[in-house]
Amino acid sequence: MIPLTFFLILAALLFGLGIAGALLRTNAIRMLMCIELMLNAVNLNLVAFSHYITPGVFRGQVLAIFVMVVAAAEAAVGLAIILELTRKRKVIDVDRTTLLKW
Amino acid sequence: MSVQMGFFIALAAITLWSGYMVVAARLITHAAFYMALSFVSVAGIFILLNAEFLAAAQVLIYAGAVATIIIFAIMLSNVREIRSDADCPPGIIQRLSLNLRSERLGILPVVVGVIFGLAMAYVYLKAGWTTNAQPAFTNTTASIGQELFTTYAVPFEVASLLLLVAMVGAIILTIKEGK
Repeated sequence: MIPLTFFLILAALLFGLGIAGALLRTNAIRMLMCIELMLNAVNLNLVAFSHYITPGVFRGQVLAIFVMVVAAAEAAVGLAIILELTRKRKVIDVDRTTLLKW
Repeated sequence: MSVQMGFFIALAAITLWSGYMVVAARLITHAAFYMALSFVSVAGIFILLNAEFLAAAQVLIYAGAVATIIIFAIMLSNVREIRSDADCPPGIIQRLSLNLRSERLGILPVVVGVIFGLAMAYVYLKAGWTTNAQPAFTNTTASIGQELFTTYAVPFEVASLLLLVAMVGAIILTIKEGK
């Protein structure tokens, strides 16, 4: 029997990695990957809580499915935007796409 | 140490290592494959949590679909630097590598990530949740289907609408203007 805390700490560490990566990297696609890592950590938390706190009730798992839906939609639209960015402006570095900064 | 614990430690190690490699891998294609690996090992952890349906969905949606479209996007974009840092001019290599002395691209994000992880771990260790000692094994997939089509029918439809909008939006965004 694994304690609930182990899963939660694993998810927290995974989320921390995702935050660090999304802030550290300026490559748009890699930032998107780090956001997917963070969503995955959230899913892990939801499933762990669903399993340990409310066994037999699957609210956490249903919510995790909706998180997956949002992650898939986000990946599709985000990658479409990134593709358009590389096609129009030939950059992928978010530090160099500063058109909306002013 | 039980068998479950051994599997958990192995899967957690693979997840964290591949998550680190997503951030630190030099080639972005390698980062994409490491991301798929971390998704698969999280699916293994879902199985440890009695969530078989979510584990299958995780492998199908994340490791299958999301990783594939990310790799497709990497291959379809013609910018050289997206494939590897080695192809970039020297200034960019220095900015992308883990330079701990640079504030914006080094020490600050790492500190934020570490502080977040430690703070949440502290909260989890201090919080006293009453956990069920022996969670009963149930037929997860059937119960999720039941919940999804009764209690959560409206959110389910909204989610499908969101997917439709995202699909149309992605197609509209990537249509080439002019002929």
